Amino acid sequence: MFVLITGGSGSGKSAYGEKTVVSLANKLNDPSLYYIATMQVYGEEGRKKVERHRILRAGKGFETIEQPVNILEALENMKSGNKIVLLECMSNLVANEMFSGELNVVEDVVDKICRSICSLRQKTNDLIIVTNNVFEDGIDYEIATKSYMEALGRINTQLAAMADAVTEVVAGIPVPVKGELIKYD
Amino acid sequence: MELYIGGYAQGKLSYVMKQTGVPLEKVLDGALETDGSSYEDVRVLNNFHMLVRNWLKAGVDPEEEIKGILLKCPRLIIISDEVGNGIVPMEAEEREYRERLGRILCTLAEKAEKVERVICGIGQRLK
Repeated sequence: MFVLITGGSGSGKSAYGEKTVVSLANKLNDPSLYYIATMQVYGEEGRKKVERHRILRAGKGFETIEQPVNILEALENMKSGNKIVLLECMSNLVANEMFSGELNVVEDVVDKICRSICSLRQKTNDLIIVTNNVFEDGIDYEIATKSYMEALGRINTQLAAMADAVTEVVAGIPVPVKGELIKYD
Repeated sequence: MELYIGGYAQGKLSYVMKQTGVPLEKVLDGALETDGSSYEDVRVLNNFHMLVRNWLKAGVDPEEEIKGILLKCPRLIIISDEVGNGIVPMEAEEREYRERLGRILCTLAEKAEKVERVICGIGQRLK
């Protein structure tokens, strides 16, 4: 399964992503669970965020791989055999590739990330990607932010086309956008 | 408790009043009310997001406040804007507000008997 999860800040996307992984893991024989963290951690606020996510994931058997850019390199840290990958979050990956990586043209960023995700999808049993709805605040941003939004929007669109299921999380409640909701207890 | 969420100016209050038949006298505007004094006659708490914003600004713990209000009014109907669907703001207080409100709405949605999202004046039942 390839599941794309979207939603706003504090909407409960991560918790839903983890539940989805745990539920998919029950259907596989001894899968390794990987959490690809794309956020670059700055300052106290960033550390708190990471800590909150660590607590959420605790006891669920995830191995964390920090991969702020060049997402395919994460595969080098994975064992062979069944694997489920939870990638969080596409909005950070795009920002990192655009603002601290080598690429800053929208098309190049979109192309690199979509190709990488295609390869990652082929090498995993299940891939769950958490992205972010950053598109509805009605503010006319300057060109750099607009380019970022453009890139993330196009990536989301391409990933959604590839995905088996696209789910929006609203106030912690999953709402199906494409495909059926993954059942979990 | 019931929760109605949605973007700015989506007709949430009119929708709720139409659905529930609650008159305007029983609607409290969270944008104006900050002291949380009398909730006895209140059926609908509108602009809940503004109440959270004002609590945070005043250094009050919003999670505790809402807990107290729900003890007094377990059947309260809460209406809130969704504010998390945008670019992460530059200012730390704005980030804190969005994140906290989002988490509070998750908690309220979990407790609520009914959750609806209102878009273009139309309700979408989420729970």
